[in-house]
Amino acid sequence: MIIAETKGVTKSYREGRETFRVLDGIDFSLQRGEIVALEGPSGSGKTTLLSILGCILSPTDGEIRIEGRTIGPRADLNAVRKQSIGFVFQQYNLFPALSARENVEFALNVKGMTGGPARREAERAMDLVGLTDRKEFLPRDLSGGQKQRVAIARALAGSPPILLADEPTANLDTQNGAQILGLFRDLVRRENRALLVVTHDPQVRSFADRVVRIRDGRLLPELDPAIGQ
Amino acid sequence: MVDLARKNLLHDKLRFTITVLGVAFAVTLVLFQVGLFLGLLDNASVIIEHVQADLWITPRNTANVDFSKTFPETRVHRVRSVPGVERADNLIVAYVDVSLPSGSQEGALCYAVENFKTWGLPWDWQGSDPDDLRRGPYVMIDAHSEQRFGPFEVGEYREFLDRRMKIIGKTNGANTFTTMPVTFMDLRTIQELIPDRYEGQSTYILVKLAPGANLEAVRAEIQSRLPYNDVYTRREWADQSRAYWIKSTGLGFTMGLTVFLGCLVGIVIVAQTLYTSTMEHLREFGTLKAIGGSNGFIYRILTRQALISGVVGFVLGAVPVYLLRPLIAQGGMKLIIPNDFGLFVMLGTLLMCVAASMVSFRKVASIDPALVFRG
Ligand SMILES: Nc1ncnc2c1ncn2[C@@H]1O[C@H](COP(=O)(O)OP(=O)(O)OP(=O)(O)O)[C@@H](O)[C@H]1O
Ligand SMILES: [Mg+2]
Repeated sequence: MIIAETKGVTKSYREGRETFRVLDGIDFSLQRGEIVALEGPSGSGKTTLLSILGCILSPTDGEIRIEGRTIGPRADLNAVRKQSIGFVFQQYNLFPALSARENVEFALNVKGMTGGPARREAERAMDLVGLTDRKEFLPRDLSGGQKQRVAIARALAGSPPILLADEPTANLDTQNGAQILGLFRDLVRRENRALLVVTHDPQVRSFADRVVRIRDGRLLPELDPAIGQ
Repeated sequence: MVDLARKNLLHDKLRFTITVLGVAFAVTLVLFQVGLFLGLLDNASVIIEHVQADLWITPRNTANVDFSKTFPETRVHRVRSVPGVERADNLIVAYVDVSLPSGSQEGALCYAVENFKTWGLPWDWQGSDPDDLRRGPYVMIDAHSEQRFGPFEVGEYREFLDRRMKIIGKTNGANTFTTMPVTFMDLRTIQELIPDRYEGQSTYILVKLAPGANLEAVRAEIQSRLPYNDVYTRREWADQSRAYWIKSTGLGFTMGLTVFLGCLVGIVIVAQTLYTSTMEHLREFGTLKAIGGSNGFIYRILTRQALISGVVGFVLGAVPVYLLRPLIAQGGMKLIIPNDFGLFVMLGTLLMCVAASMVSFRKVASIDPALVFRG
């Protein structure tokens, strides 16, 4: 079942008199329960595509559908993000003053869940990412891999169906990276979510169901990750 | 709800300390300055407030109770015959020179009437009965005068002009704006002491109304009978005496300036530390926006940070002022902080903090949630 989709999406930026077309007619879809890796050289438009799919940027042209609903130019993007999307960034962006659990709980507060339910959901997410015994640690007392787990717990909490991750392993060593990817795979399978991972990291391929490549704002024909490079 | 505002503040203890000390400084400055000002002003009218007179008849265009001019003492008869006047007496307020045991001289203000207790003057004293003042060359001196006269005891003598006078009582609370010593003696005594100026003369007439008399009607009647005097209610005369000092000394302006500077310091410090903190958390705030948090949501966090700083700063600034009040009183200064003024300063502090937090609003509004994807 398709949960997020773009049709003929283009994105252009104006710089002085010139217009740069960063995305050029992207048709892409994400299914429930699958992990898709998005690969491409620097500047090819990966982050831009992720941002559009995550309703952070609006496309210059084309259509976006999230959970079956078309996101028009007047749509309340904040509301769509609150409801449907969890983000994981290369940088963890945790509030240094909040404990791991509080960082997750606060994100739920932002989404409108408060009090006991938010706290329990935050604890559940912490358990899911394997940080049961680090809940009350401040970010400065956590390793990079642990911080990224907190960020993942924050994205997972509230069970948004779509997870978008931009280079989640870029700041981690191979071993930690593999653990995070393994965690992602378990979570997506167990809770039937969808994950789009932007990456340069070759080991991501072995975790993905599909690999989508982008070059100069256009998608290339897909690779079967089983066949490999 | 996770209290991000409070945790953010307490996370950087040094910055929080600077912020609240900045607010506290402003609060202390304002409370102190205005309190002293009100204390001085209170001195300017404290005697008027205590004299049990409904109306004060003054020489035409008298600026202030301390600066008296003279008129014939017989005018009091015209007042006594006005219907509705229960009692009217002359009051002389005069400057006298006092020779001190050290040989130096000090000026003092002398309040002189014939029937002290009828007018409730003085209202707080030790020693003989004030009505005994008429029995001889006697004087009562207010305790605050010791600041200039040096210590004195009841039963001692001091030379007023060239006359030895016995101190038969020590009063409390009678003061003047300039903190000049205040003394009390009988009307006849002062007239004999300075005959050139006061023989057959008076400087004020105090009026007490009969029960049920119409104040405005009596005032109008007196005014028509004494065209060369002014007639004030007690309230008006007290206000006028205070207003004189506010205007003539520029004290009102100085105080306004201090209050303004205090507020400025407070706003700048709060705005500055809050802004720095916001700048440091741009990525995290961007993340909140990416998650779906609105600008308003983040504004509320910033405002809450400012309000917490404001409340803590106010307490830190106000408590020492209240605690130090007795110590200041010992130094001969009066600090008056009416409750509603304290409340006003607290609200002003909070308002100031909220205003300071708004400086960061624009920055927050300009955060592009797409920023968080950039490395
Ligand atoms: N706000 C913007 N204004 C102008 N140009 C932009 C803007 N955002 C992105 N671009 C341009 O769009 C192109 C694609 O950027 P994008 O960040 O999507 O690349 P990317 O594939 O994520 O690269 P990387 O692997 O380095 O992260 C780049 O050339 C970039 O300069
Ligand atoms: Mg990128």
